[in-house]
Amino acid sequence: MNLSYNWLKDYVDHQLQPEELSDLLTMSGLEVEGVEVIGNSMEGVVVGHVLSVSRHPNADRLSCCVVDVAGEEPLPIVCGAPNVAAGQRVPVATVGTRLMLPGRENPDEKVEVKIKKSKIRGEESRGMICAEDELGLSDNHDGIMVLDGEAKIGQAFSSYLEERSLSFQDHVIDVSITPNRPDAISHIGASRDVAAIVNTPLLYPEVDVPNSGGDAQSLIDVEIEAPEACRRYAAMVVQGITVKESPAWLKQRLTAIGLRPRNNMVDITNYVMYECGQPLHAFDYDQIAGKKIIVRFNKGGEKFTTLDSKERELPDNTLMICDGDRPVALAGIMGGENSEVTDQTVNVLIESAYFDPSTIRKTAKALSLQTDASYRFERGVDSNGQVWAAARAAALMAELGGGTIVSGVQDEHPSPITPPVVAVRHKRIETIVGRKIDAEEVVRLLSSIGFKVEDKGGSYTCAVPSFRPDVEREIDVIEEVARLSGYHNIPEPAHTVVPSLTPRVNPELVLRRQVKTLLLGLGFRETYTNSMLRKEVAETFNVPVLTGGEGDVVETLKPISQEMAALRPSLLPGLLSVIGYNQNRGQRSLRLMEFGKVFQAGMDSNAFVPGYKEHTSLILCMCGPLEQVHWSSSVKSVTFHDLKGVVEALLQNLCGDAVEMKPVYDETPVTAYHLALEVKGTPVGVIAAVSESQQKAYSLRDPVYVAELNWGALLPHLKSPISIMFSEFSRFPVVERDLAIQIDQSQAVGDLMQDMERAGGKLLKHIHVFDVYEGEQVETGKKSIAFGLRFGAGRTLKDKEVDRSVESIVKSLNKNFGAELRK
Amino acid sequence: MLDIFDQLRKEIEEAVIDTKEAVEDFRVSYLGRKNGRLKALSEKMRDIDVADRPVFGKNINALKDLVNNRLDQAQQLLRSSGSKKGKTIDLTLPGRKPDLGSLHPLTQTAEEIQGIFTAYGFTIAEGPEIEDDWHNFTSLNFPEDHPARDMQDTFFLREKSVDIDAAVLRTHTSPVQIRVMKSSQPPIRVIAPGRVYRNETITFKSYCVFHQVEGLYVDEGVSLADLKQILHMFARAMFGEDVKTRFRPSFFPFTEPSAEFDVWMPNKDLPAGGRWLEILGCGMVDPNVLEAVGIDSERYTGYAFGMGVERIAMLRYGIKDLRIFYENDVRFLEQF
Repeated sequence: MNLSYNWLKDYVDHQLQPEELSDLLTMSGLEVEGVEVIGNSMEGVVVGHVLSVSRHPNADRLSCCVVDVAGEEPLPIVCGAPNVAAGQRVPVATVGTRLMLPGRENPDEKVEVKIKKSKIRGEESRGMICAEDELGLSDNHDGIMVLDGEAKIGQAFSSYLEERSLSFQDHVIDVSITPNRPDAISHIGASRDVAAIVNTPLLYPEVDVPNSGGDAQSLIDVEIEAPEACRRYAAMVVQGITVKESPAWLKQRLTAIGLRPRNNMVDITNYVMYECGQPLHAFDYDQIAGKKIIVRFNKGGEKFTTLDSKERELPDNTLMICDGDRPVALAGIMGGENSEVTDQTVNVLIESAYFDPSTIRKTAKALSLQTDASYRFERGVDSNGQVWAAARAAALMAELGGGTIVSGVQDEHPSPITPPVVAVRHKRIETIVGRKIDAEEVVRLLSSIGFKVEDKGGSYTCAVPSFRPDVEREIDVIEEVARLSGYHNIPEPAHTVVPSLTPRVNPELVLRRQVKTLLLGLGFRETYTNSMLRKEVAETFNVPVLTGGEGDVVETLKPISQEMAALRPSLLPGLLSVIGYNQNRGQRSLRLMEFGKVFQAGMDSNAFVPGYKEHTSLILCMCGPLEQVHWSSSVKSVTFHDLKGVVEALLQNLCGDAVEMKPVYDETPVTAYHLALEVKGTPVGVIAAVSESQQKAYSLRDPVYVAELNWGALLPHLKSPISIMFSEFSRFPVVERDLAIQIDQSQAVGDLMQDMERAGGKLLKHIHVFDVYEGEQVETGKKSIAFGLRFGAGRTLKDKEVDRSVESIVKSLNKNFGAELRK
Repeated sequence: MLDIFDQLRKEIEEAVIDTKEAVEDFRVSYLGRKNGRLKALSEKMRDIDVADRPVFGKNINALKDLVNNRLDQAQQLLRSSGSKKGKTIDLTLPGRKPDLGSLHPLTQTAEEIQGIFTAYGFTIAEGPEIEDDWHNFTSLNFPEDHPARDMQDTFFLREKSVDIDAAVLRTHTSPVQIRVMKSSQPPIRVIAPGRVYRNETITFKSYCVFHQVEGLYVDEGVSLADLKQILHMFARAMFGEDVKTRFRPSFFPFTEPSAEFDVWMPNKDLPAGGRWLEILGCGMVDPNVLEAVGIDSERYTGYAFGMGVERIAMLRYGIKDLRIFYENDVRFLEQF
């Protein structure tokens, strides 16, 4: 909300410069987001008297004027305004004056211009006769500003303005109002905090507040059919007014805070709303059928045209203001076109009501229509401020529109709100704030913002003012004391007391960091991808091969974009996008990793929220060249086995050999082939080559290999770093043997290795494959595999025992796989 | 016979092989296929008694190993003294450099924040990203239909058959605090890092997901002064010893009194020489929240704070556009 620095001065004599005032507001809880200076300083602008006006010899639209500014001699000035005439008193910017002029291309953007002595189309000009917008007084550029006859020739224009209580420079303070401070959405509201802090009285404008009843009662009847939604409805009538342009001071104030002036009646309702926070509506009294106002809920589906000329379909249970025949306003949001004040209006009905916050909020939301009025009602206006605001507006209408106020007020008050009285313990204030504070200070601060406080010695009873609906409890009052006494005055203790809790590290976090560290060293870069994606993409990747389980995709409701319509069931689509993005930018060799939550709908006994499954997933992706180009060797491309090796190393480090890898050669929509990872039959992840169709869908140039591990499922099987125990190792030498065999080309080597492990017995410690060969040297349909075997025991081995073990391996391979020794 | 072996061993051991040529001569003289001395020796095997042959063979093999060892040593020596004796190795060629990976800047920033607070006795707690309305809002004192809920543009989830409270993507990590408080009694001193969601348009300063680190301390006699102190310590650790900070009133449904914490970011281009930047929201845990989780709000008080990791990272690294964190451009990632 915008506050005008000049306007605030009406209510509090704070003696603060704009910057100091904004700091004070911020430190009181009304955060200032910006301060903007508007207007010109008027230095160099004086009152001039136009002595003569003649047509410019070389330009039809320009005139040559002679203007007396009480200087040494009258000034020749070329002027383009159509309304300039001899005899006028006008503001003249003399040579050397700096003005902020509206830009040629964008009038809202001001450009600084220095007035110079010049020749305009051959005629000398020594100054500028100014229009209102050129002086920053308004947006008016209809012609030069013509001053009243009292203006003294040569007088500084600033003093002319001051004499007429017109300000020429203002600071607009943009304040962000938190939802708990409906009282502060006005100039008086903000001034109240300022007055409390600088310890000076709050100055209310004097208003003749009428008593209920009077002549108003016979002119208007108010019926509230929805007392829970409309707690109060005050109506006043002003007769015989003239609707016209508002005076300069009023327009200036509204423009300063960013409102567009319309006519005096509408401007007054806005002015009073920004003054005290109570939204008002002015009806054309003569359009109100049956001199009757009815407040009631309407059924949905009806159509109603608001005063912005838009026809709106009303949602169910819209609170309406109706006259004897028809709806005339959307309660608390916007008036109707059928009853608005027009140039022909003579009698005005002022509505000043209290509408229930949630009722207005629902309607405004359903209509997607937020107005200055609804904004205030939603947050809760002063439940006792209606009559004052109506009277204030009526007085201004009578003053500026030349009408008379009908005595009294029609004040329907069916369900008054009684603000609470809160007991507050002094000690509790000090406990919460953490500092000593005097009882007198507590009383003074609370009283100055409208609380009625009684000091009961060690405690207080505080009657909450009607404009503070947010204050209900002791802690709410303590907050008021804390903020007004200043957060900056709270001392910071010199020592920190830490409770004697046992320091515990979460083993899962330690393991996660360990994995990241290992992968970091293996060249993987960590990514952060969006958890949300398009529904179709989510469904494509919601396949058991990746997710390890069945379940629907989780969808979001009313996402702002379809790109956020579903939650990822796998990290893969996000990573494929990242790979595509980087490949398009010349990055081919990519190793990426990410830890993140993945989601599925479905029942899971461990779920926090029933119906939704989520677990942490770890993904690794590799593609492109295996390493940087180097002079010592040629560069190979990443293969499936490069990634498999990384996963093997990682799992070896984390959980020994608990994980089984089962080959699947069948294609799925997202994988070309894969290894399914399992621990005791439970799926824990996958290592796969991305399917050709997905390679295409993401326009990927190089084959992508991916491993996605279900970190949650894997976790119970991981070696916690604190559970590691030393085990004695053999200090005797090991014996190495090589073994080359020939088998059918289609035979999986993994099966052979399992068989060898079994047949090799206890002495066999390790097998590695050092050559796989198919070609001329072996028979057609066969391949040759060379294994390196390592034997060891807690003693020196005898050749014979090793020979026996090798023999039994060879025999078993021959029997089970038809393997033959190569010579 | 043994003499031959001993003599050969001596010769092999004492041979001077300090040039490329000498190495080649040495190799040919012992291992050469035609006239190598070891070759010649093994041909003599035929002439000796069958029973002595294994030992003879072993001796020859031992000599072979010795020759090979000497050759290896000599070649290595030659390589390392390359500059002296002709350039057999170019030390200036680029090394074979393995690619190292990198941790995402958000991970690094979150770890830095967590490190500071764990040093002050906070433990780390985590929770689910899909939450129910009670944990995300109701227990945290968000009244139904209150403007405070406007401050959080929430993703609700499409219900799947089960009749449960509306499920949401958590809008903050405060539900983790609720879960911790529900499952334990004070003293409680935890931080809750994690990913949170807002249904917002993606711009340079907002993204539909972001990360928070929230802190909570509930104990007897915890006050605003304690909160101010820990945050000031945090700011010094994060932004430097002489950081200027500001602690000012604000509003959050789950804290009362509430505050926001700003740090002064110097900037010579600004007329004021810098500006205040809000880095976190905080306050004293609202008694309603403590009561909702079964903690006696008369006996215990507590503070809570929450900050956006992205925001801190942007300040820390001088990043202007939040979206770059989620682009994962390698040219960005490799800088951290």
